[in-house]
Amino acid sequence: MSTTSVLVLQLAGPLQSWGTGSEFNRRETAQEPTKSGVVGLLAAALGRHRQEPIDDLTALRLGVRADQPGTVLRDYHTASDHRGRPLLSAQVSKKGEQKPTTPAKYTQVTQRFYLQDAVFLAALQGPAALLKQLDGALRAPVFPLALGRRSCPPSRPLSLGLAESPDGLEGVLRSTTWQAGKTAHVTHARKAAHPEHIDLMATVEDPEHGNDSVCDVPLSFVQERRGLTERRIRRLTVTAPTGLEARTDSSRTGLHAGHDPFALLGW
Amino acid sequence: MPYLSKIRINPQRASAIRLLRTPYQLHGAVQAAFPNQAVDERVLWRLETDTPRRPHLLVLSEHTRPDWTHLVEQAGWPGAEGDHFLVGDYTPLLDRLAAGQEYAFRLAANPVQNTKRPDKLTPEQEARLKETEPGTRTRGFRVGHRTASAQFAWFLARCERAGFTIPAVRTTTAPAPGLTLCEKSEPAPDAALIKRDSHRFRKKKNGPQITLTTATFQGRLRVEDPEALRAALLAGIGPSKAYGCGLLTLAPLPQEAPRG
Repeated sequence: MSTTSVLVLQLAGPLQSWGTGSEFNRRETAQEPTKSGVVGLLAAALGRHRQEPIDDLTALRLGVRADQPGTVLRDYHTASDHRGRPLLSAQVSKKGEQKPTTPAKYTQVTQRFYLQDAVFLAALQGPAALLKQLDGALRAPVFPLALGRRSCPPSRPLSLGLAESPDGLEGVLRSTTWQAGKTAHVTHARKAAHPEHIDLMATVEDPEHGNDSVCDVPLSFVQERRGLTERRIRRLTVTAPTGLEARTDSSRTGLHAGHDPFALLGW
Repeated sequence: MPYLSKIRINPQRASAIRLLRTPYQLHGAVQAAFPNQAVDERVLWRLETDTPRRPHLLVLSEHTRPDWTHLVEQAGWPGAEGDHFLVGDYTPLLDRLAAGQEYAFRLAANPVQNTKRPDKLTPEQEARLKETEPGTRTRGFRVGHRTASAQFAWFLARCERAGFTIPAVRTTTAPAPGLTLCEKSEPAPDAALIKRDSHRFRKKKNGPQITLTTATFQGRLRVEDPEALRAALLAGIGPSKAYGCGLLTLAPLPQEAPRG
């Protein structure tokens, strides 16, 4: 299609946290960037306020590739009143004031979960004009940008620019170079039999053939009317180029490959 | 005409477990594939266990084309799809061998040494020593090499006789920062000991216990003397050939093979 193109983002940072349905004292993170997280990031870059519509952004087709899946970090977190007073409960007195908790509770224990040391590639497919505007906005954002939570700033420039591929979104996920960190590159170069490729897990939005669904499409970012709806997704494995050279030494390939004596018998 | 066969074995079956338990039983099953009693024929075999729970048997026979129906019926998947066994003519490979070629190889062998006085005598050895007059016995006892370095040295010592050499490891990785290559060190041979095993079994219920120490070598070889290598491929390397040792097989080098 000539009117659609793909904007490629790299989401890398020491910490990321992509919440979907978490509430109250336990704030969990998804294993990969959510649509609401990415849409929020784009809206912040454009300088949209919470009241402004986000329909054009939610209409973009999102594909996510886990270049470095990361590990989950649990943050044990407490909150209390610095004046030493008990915390307030949700109940309200006749005067309209919040009652103190009974028995008095001084500390709120919360748990927050983060993805540490993760790198994701997010590809957005949609109208070329909008993607071009987003590309510019991500390079000069109006509001500060964060990876799912304000305490998780990105450690690399977010936009990798607009990409073209005949296969659309999936083609871009297949052709974009692996964006993992240096340690992962060194480990892969040392251990893999074919370091020039790597197999990565990816998730693409697919309304027709999607065989799974996730509930992470934001309806609105207005505090009183926040909500999420579902979208159909499809999970796949993509083989991406790593930018590393093919192995020419024999130490690993020769010894750990299978052994098929029939391959030399000429049939 | 030499034939190479490959038979898949279903390790879930009781009869297959009996075969896999001792090399002696498997030797019997292999011999049963030859209609004429193969007394003057060298039959080499090796059990391949690359894929866990899906072992297969490789058999090389020098003159006779074997029939593996009995093994499929007793220890295979008789009703399943796919090839129950493959029997291939081995001559294309033997004709192709020429000096300077390089192949991937695998060999399961029984590295042994002869020693006059073993560290620890078995009851049989002790009895044999008692029988002979002190000082008259000239022949030593054959005992298995048990350390990896001794087993590997045993293998390297047999390469020349079998008509091939093990080239040095090809490496492109630079030494770690702060380290330099030691110029004086010998380059390592491009082969490794991938599996070591020890089997203990008896042929008869109260017969002597047979102990078999096996080592599997894999790597890259360079053909030096095609005639000697042809002979080694057909005759095997080292002892215990009836018990799945000594079969040297060649395969294409992994670089030639497609990715996957």
